[in-house]
Amino acid sequence: MIEITRLTKRYGGKPAVDDVSFTVRPGRVTGFLGPNGAGKSTTLRVLLGLDRPDGGTALIGGRRYRDLRHPLRTVGALLDGAGPVPERRAVDHLTWIAQSNRIPRRRVHEVLELVGLTGAARQRVKGYSLGMRQRLGIAAALLGDPEVLVLDEPVNGLDPEGVRRVRDLLREYAASGRTVLLSSHLMAETAETADDAIVIARGRIVAHGPLAGLSAGHGSLESAFFALTGDREGRGGW
Amino acid sequence: MVRDAAAAVRAELTKIVTLRAVWLVTGAVVGLHLLLWTQNIDAETEAVDGITADGMIERFPGTVRPAREALAEYLAASSFQMCLFLPFTAAVIGGQEFRAGQLGASLLAVPRRGLLVGAKTLATGGFLLSAAAVIAAISTAFMYGATRGWDPGLVVSAQAWAAQAKFLAYAVLSGLVTFAVTLIARSTLAGVLVTVVLTALTMSQVLAAFAPALDALVPLSAGRNLILLPGEDLRLSAGPAHAMAVLVAWPLLATVTAAVLLTRRDAR
Repeated sequence: MIEITRLTKRYGGKPAVDDVSFTVRPGRVTGFLGPNGAGKSTTLRVLLGLDRPDGGTALIGGRRYRDLRHPLRTVGALLDGAGPVPERRAVDHLTWIAQSNRIPRRRVHEVLELVGLTGAARQRVKGYSLGMRQRLGIAAALLGDPEVLVLDEPVNGLDPEGVRRVRDLLREYAASGRTVLLSSHLMAETAETADDAIVIARGRIVAHGPLAGLSAGHGSLESAFFALTGDREGRGGW
Repeated sequence: MVRDAAAAVRAELTKIVTLRAVWLVTGAVVGLHLLLWTQNIDAETEAVDGITADGMIERFPGTVRPAREALAEYLAASSFQMCLFLPFTAAVIGGQEFRAGQLGASLLAVPRRGLLVGAKTLATGGFLLSAAAVIAAISTAFMYGATRGWDPGLVVSAQAWAAQAKFLAYAVLSGLVTFAVTLIARSTLAGVLVTVVLTALTMSQVLAAFAPALDALVPLSAGRNLILLPGEDLRLSAGPAHAMAVLVAWPLLATVTAAVLLTRRDAR
């Protein structure tokens, strides 16, 4: 269970996240949707203890991330801006992460196999394609076989087969009673994967509930998204 | 808790030894040390051959000193000059955290900032100690080659061990200063630049000439004060006890500052 309560985060006095509250329940995949700059990544960074909140709390299983003893055995995370040094080999990157949380070394090889990187494990990450880096990030998230998955744009750069495998993985994860929070701005992909959705715009939560309920009356999740975020034509922002 | 700390240190050591840049810089320092000793060995052997019956050596023209004391000092001093470069290894180790989101990955794995900084410091100190031990071993091997005809036991004498211990302490503590400064500045280049400035303060002798008390507070000066012996040609700005206190205080204060800043700042 993830509980965000009245979370506020400002950068240079400007609020990136403003009084945000929501809950992510176990046994379901929850999509976290919003346009670029809406506050998705900031919320996740505060949740995972990377950024300090200016107000409110972000708890995982009732505790702050930084208070978890072996955090990677509880939470697996894929975040933009939390990746490997390019000169390091993939297997070495996963090895130090495993060692830090006393995760058995065999798990390194298991997750490499799971994401299809066994053959490239001894390559330096700087030689990886975007999709391979993404798979390495997913492998790192799965290393501790965690109860909670927090993934920021996990299918970014993946080929169709990779996208399908991630979707299946997340569905299986949730079906086993675990918690999955999936940040994305890919509406079609989220509609295929998520049970619930949280929509954030300009740092505030604008909708939260079962996906079917959010989409009702809009024809599709994409139409609902544009209606909820105040961009009815879907042409603004870039 | 102890096992968690040990796990964090082990992970940090793995980070260090799996980074090619660390080995390249360390290899360059060790290679340079080998090169300098190779060039100096003939001169040292010649000086040892000239040791008088009453045990005096003239390593530099006009400077006659007790041979055992002078050679034991040089054993450490020859390694000490390499310590001008060893902090660059520490800067590379510290700077890796601020490349490509590594800091974010580190804090996801070890979110307790104090534990992370402590583990990084111990692992870096361990690596620097290993590198310094290799440098000391090279000095020992060459010094043995130069002195075996006069006193083969010199390199394992109490004087030699004491000098080596001082060198190792300086090598680790001065490297940790650069490491902590790199963490504070979040930049390898900044760590290198601060080290160069501190080194220049000692090498230029500006502070030593006008304010010896201030000079004694600079890490490299403290290293000189710890390792070298004062003489007619060499004035030091403080004694070895003061030097050791300075060398402990610098990394301690810098590391605490780094930990506090890491706790207060966002991991970006």
